[in-house]
Amino acid sequence: MKHVKKWVMVLVAMVMAIVAGCSGSGSKPAGDASPSAGGGASKNPVEITFWTISLSPTFDDYINGVIKDFETKNPGVKVKWQDVPIDAIEQKTLTSAASGTLADVMNLNTDYLKKLAALGAVANMDKLAGDVKKDFYEGIWSAGEFQGVSYALPWYLSNSVLLYNKDILKKAGFDNPPKTEEEAWQMSKVIKEKTGAYGSTLKDIHLYLPSNGVPLISDDFKKAAFNTPRALEIFKAFKQRYDDKLLPDEMLLGQAKAQEWYAQEKIAWWSTGPQLFRQVKDLSPQVYDKSDAAPALLGSTGKVHVAIMNIAVAEKSKHQKEAADFAKFITNAENQLKFSKIVAVLPSVKKAAEDPFFAEGKDSKDPAEKGRYFAVQQLKDSVNNIPPVENISKINKAINDEFHRVLLEKKDPAKALSDAEAEVNKLLK
Amino acid sequence: MYKSVHAWAFLAPAGLFLLVFSLGPAVAALILSFTSYNIFEPTEFVGFNNYMEVLKDSDFWRAMFNTFYYWILVTPALVVLPVFLAVLVNQALIGVKLFRLVFYFPALVSVVVTAFLWGWMFNSEGVLNYFLSIIGVEPVKWLTSKYVVMPSLAIVTVWQGLGYYMLFYLAGLQSVPEDLYEAAELDGAGFWRKHISITFPMLRPVIFFVAVVSTMSAFKEFTLMLTMVEGGPLGASTTVVYLVFDEAFKQLNMGYASAVSFLLFAVILALTLLNKRSLDRE
Repeated sequence: MKHVKKWVMVLVAMVMAIVAGCSGSGSKPAGDASPSAGGGASKNPVEITFWTISLSPTFDDYINGVIKDFETKNPGVKVKWQDVPIDAIEQKTLTSAASGTLADVMNLNTDYLKKLAALGAVANMDKLAGDVKKDFYEGIWSAGEFQGVSYALPWYLSNSVLLYNKDILKKAGFDNPPKTEEEAWQMSKVIKEKTGAYGSTLKDIHLYLPSNGVPLISDDFKKAAFNTPRALEIFKAFKQRYDDKLLPDEMLLGQAKAQEWYAQEKIAWWSTGPQLFRQVKDLSPQVYDKSDAAPALLGSTGKVHVAIMNIAVAEKSKHQKEAADFAKFITNAENQLKFSKIVAVLPSVKKAAEDPFFAEGKDSKDPAEKGRYFAVQQLKDSVNNIPPVENISKINKAINDEFHRVLLEKKDPAKALSDAEAEVNKLLK
Repeated sequence: MYKSVHAWAFLAPAGLFLLVFSLGPAVAALILSFTSYNIFEPTEFVGFNNYMEVLKDSDFWRAMFNTFYYWILVTPALVVLPVFLAVLVNQALIGVKLFRLVFYFPALVSVVVTAFLWGWMFNSEGVLNYFLSIIGVEPVKWLTSKYVVMPSLAIVTVWQGLGYYMLFYLAGLQSVPEDLYEAAELDGAGFWRKHISITFPMLRPVIFFVAVVSTMSAFKEFTLMLTMVEGGPLGASTTVVYLVFDEAFKQLNMGYASAVSFLLFAVILALTLLNKRSLDRE
């Protein structure tokens, strides 16, 4: 019996050791430890952590440079940078939030930002950085809002322009690319008949609706607002296009990648950010050589949707002021301009976008450069069409699912719209 | 006394591991299933609310249906077909080891790689539809039709699982005493008679094992659904585990997702007990 007791004691000791080893997160932050910071800096050194999404190793020099500048200008503040792959960012945010180790400054996409804002995980930026609001484009700043409060500074942006295949257009008898969505679908029909290739493609409808005059949600964010005669018209038009075999199933269901189809000349144009054009160049340099860039296809509102990468500060950060200072620093005109010069993304601050650098490229032979020119020109007409509500990804899904049912299952468009409306209203409660 | 102490000492490391990484999280999930835990907001105890909501949720019932459908497509095939494969590669033929290797090979390929490969095969302009077009058959919407998607995914699973389960049967076959077959031959039994009267009864414990293991893995399957079709088209391949993943890690409804997991656990437990009872009775 004695032996058994001894073994049980050993076991208990082992468990305690493991538990103790796991619970290190409550210990003091690195910087707070010693009061002997020495002469120079008046305060104890503060360390803030900064997460980016999939920027390392390509942009190591740039990010490290910005951090170094910041640390020089703010003695006593250290920035610890960590890059997280895009597929892992949500998981990383979740697990870190659960264990209380969320970064002080985070790079987040707009959907996820809204989710975190609704849960109170990110800090109020009107309070922390309201002074820089005027530097940003209005339509872009508002993307970081949730129920009237800003929770992020916009960082880099990308809006869509058009990469099109000159050969396919010529074979179908067109000299110029389409300018509007409507025209694009008309041309698609001719292109399909004459060349067998598809023209426009579509996966989801949740961005098409707002850029064609159908807001998804009412102005007070309380109800669905998309069940309108105009939306019905749109659904019916797509149903017709689907029946005319202008919309391939694999694109509609997101099983095929547009860049691959474009590189295989299965589609005549691809609406995307100019920074992604190089994917086509990698897949098929020949097809890239036949390509040219054009401005975005416009919906009836004439506004272009812009995708935004945001910089947010954690609500539970112990150094909110320093974190906000760094957020402002990395998004300031000077640093954004430097970033845009090494990669084809767009800046969110007006001063950076007005730089002569962006006036170049208008007559470039390289579609990516030309595309960037068009993308910057579009900034003043850009808006983020993602409504500032918590359940936005579920809401988008509800609308898209009903849209897919109309096409794939021959569901009545009017019924689909009212079913989607009911579902969205439920999600908004 | 001496022996039991040693036994405990050897069990302790594995037991501890199991406690910390399996049993602990399972108990935690059970507790979470009665709360509103979503990582960020304060956690509240909500009693059976999550369970009630799950049972009212049409998405849950569709996922349950999809899971059973997938199970019915996959498990019988994985219980029966590998027996034949095992009998084949159990013959004393030249080069039979090579065949064993070839049949086992798919089990070595990672599920994600498998998903990519089959994704190309199932493509609307892929290899399979190309062969069908040669013999004049209309292209099949392998992954884009909600009626065909599950059978397509089942084909992939069976392809990958055949060799794996074959190994268990092969081990079982090799423990069947040779003299039973010899005695049967003397009595005039042919190929089929021998297998029906000797092989299958002797393999019964292995069949039970394969049935249970393949049932559990069918109910847990989710990688293929995620990587090949993201649970679509229109939710036609959203299984219960996929739903758990979506609710927990996309929607952050951890409590709700935990409740779904425990309902699934109850179903698997019931099926396993049923399976065991029916085999015991025989």
